[in-house]
Amino acid sequence: MALTPDTGTPDTGTPDTGTPDTRTPYTRTPGAVEAHVPVEPLACGRDAAEVWDHTEAGTLDEHERDCPHCGAAAADARGLEAMVGRLAQEPLVPPATVVDRVVGAVLAELRPRDLIPLDSPHGPAALDAAAAAAVLRGVVDAMAGMRARSCRIARPSSSDGRPGPAEVAMTVTARFGVDLSSTTARVRQMVLAAGEQALGVPVARVDIEVVDVFLDEPGPAR
Amino acid sequence: MSDHPETTFRAGDALVARVAAETAAAVPGVVALRTDLAGTLLGLAGQVLGTRRAPVVAARVDGGQAEVSLSVVTRLGFNCRDLVVAVQREVADAVRAYTGLDTLVRVTVVDVLIDRPASTSTDADVSAR
Amino acid sequence: MTALHDAGELHPAPGAARRNPTRAAPQPDSAAEPARPVVATPDDLDEQTLVVRAQEGDVRAFETLARRHQVALYRLAVRVLGNRADAEDALQDGLLDAWRRIGSFRGEASFSTWLYRIVTNRCLGLLRRTRPAVPVADPTEAGDVVGARSASPERQAELDAGMTALAAALTGLPHDQRVCFVLRELEGLGYAEIAEITGARETTVRGRIHRARKALAEVMRPWR
Repeated sequence: MALTPDTGTPDTGTPDTGTPDTRTPYTRTPGAVEAHVPVEPLACGRDAAEVWDHTEAGTLDEHERDCPHCGAAAADARGLEAMVGRLAQEPLVPPATVVDRVVGAVLAELRPRDLIPLDSPHGPAALDAAAAAAVLRGVVDAMAGMRARSCRIARPSSSDGRPGPAEVAMTVTARFGVDLSSTTARVRQMVLAAGEQALGVPVARVDIEVVDVFLDEPGPAR
Repeated sequence: MSDHPETTFRAGDALVARVAAETAAAVPGVVALRTDLAGTLLGLAGQVLGTRRAPVVAARVDGGQAEVSLSVVTRLGFNCRDLVVAVQREVADAVRAYTGLDTLVRVTVVDVLIDRPASTSTDADVSAR
Repeated sequence: MTALHDAGELHPAPGAARRNPTRAAPQPDSAAEPARPVVATPDDLDEQTLVVRAQEGDVRAFETLARRHQVALYRLAVRVLGNRADAEDALQDGLLDAWRRIGSFRGEASFSTWLYRIVTNRCLGLLRRTRPAVPVADPTEAGDVVGARSASPERQAELDAGMTALAAALTGLPHDQRVCFVLRELEGLGYAEIAEITGARETTVRGRIHRARKALAEVMRPWR
């Protein structure tokens, strides 16, 4: 599916003269999965686009260094390279207000979402499930070596039709090396306590799945 | 005094809504009121939206009964259930005191502020004032 | 009937009357234990965690993602659109699109590829709507880096003028070539990723980039 309709010149540059079999023998870009269809074949048989790539990468081969056709392409590449490099390095930072405006708009268009009933003798009361999840995630994040990823909270009705205790399903990542069984036991305790203390929602069940580990310092494992 | 003409007044929806909003906003732990649709988490978004959108409280008076619906934002450290109970109680009491109406108060906690990144809190606080 | 009432002030006023002072209002736990639960929001959460949280409706996680990626997305938009004001619009609208569609992100591509694609589409939409503008070289942009380098003043001025000319020449390219060139040469992405972002085949991407290079090299010849 083309996400970008061609608004400019149509792509006529791809030659359809050659069959796949006549693939140029010089495509030996390291790691290239497939041979490239030449974009602009030079008189010497090389592809100018590839010579350009090699120039930028500093991987010109012997032919490309000596051949006048390749040399002309490489010269063009070098001529542009310096200026492009400077342009690329130019610091361009968006005003901080952009993300602020986005967040403001996001908050403004939030629709009522899943709600968890709160027990009150005085009338209907509920808590946004995403807000409750954020609280429980925060509790886990504060534990050494643990980070919450997914957190879903549901409060199914009990047999008498009133809201029963909540059920929490979480996925977490753990610092490499922490003891998983004792840590998840601690997570469970913290979630039970936070449900009661912070949310005022009794929690009956906490399912914790450790989905990944992360390494110690700043960059968590992917 | 019996020859004085009988004085009646009728509490309108807007009055009930106003009393409910003022009362709820004064309950400790209520950081902000937010509308369901165009709500603003003030202190986070008040300024960036460009307008100081006021909270909206839905209220309906029907005979001797009133019904009020509020969305509140609180912060960590206040128990959500206790907060909701307090809001319901205070709002119902206040509406009764002002208007004599019995009120059903529906409260939804729509957000719990956990902490705010230090980098944005200054701006946000300014915008909230 | 339902009255939508403007209550005026969102925040509890300091002097707001406590109508029932005897009532036990919920107290923050700071005074009396049990203490409030300790929570943290680490700055260094990995991207996948942030994406999952945002997909579950966590606006703050989304905000963190937006802040992390905004500079690259903005650079792309400025170079494609040729000016900062439109680039801000494209970035803002693109990020909003991202929030609205984040549920559809399945992780086949990297999140940054996904964001690049959204902002690219916003840029192309803007370009289609605006009449072909006279490329305006923004002298302040060239000026930004003047102090950062040490070259002879003459050479410096030359380079700055060259950069301004290059930025202007970029905006003269056909849209699809411009997008591909910027992603490749200024953002440093590979052909496969650019193909994913633009929805074009890799061969097409290579062709566009090459034509853009040739055209720009021609324009920039006097600055060599």
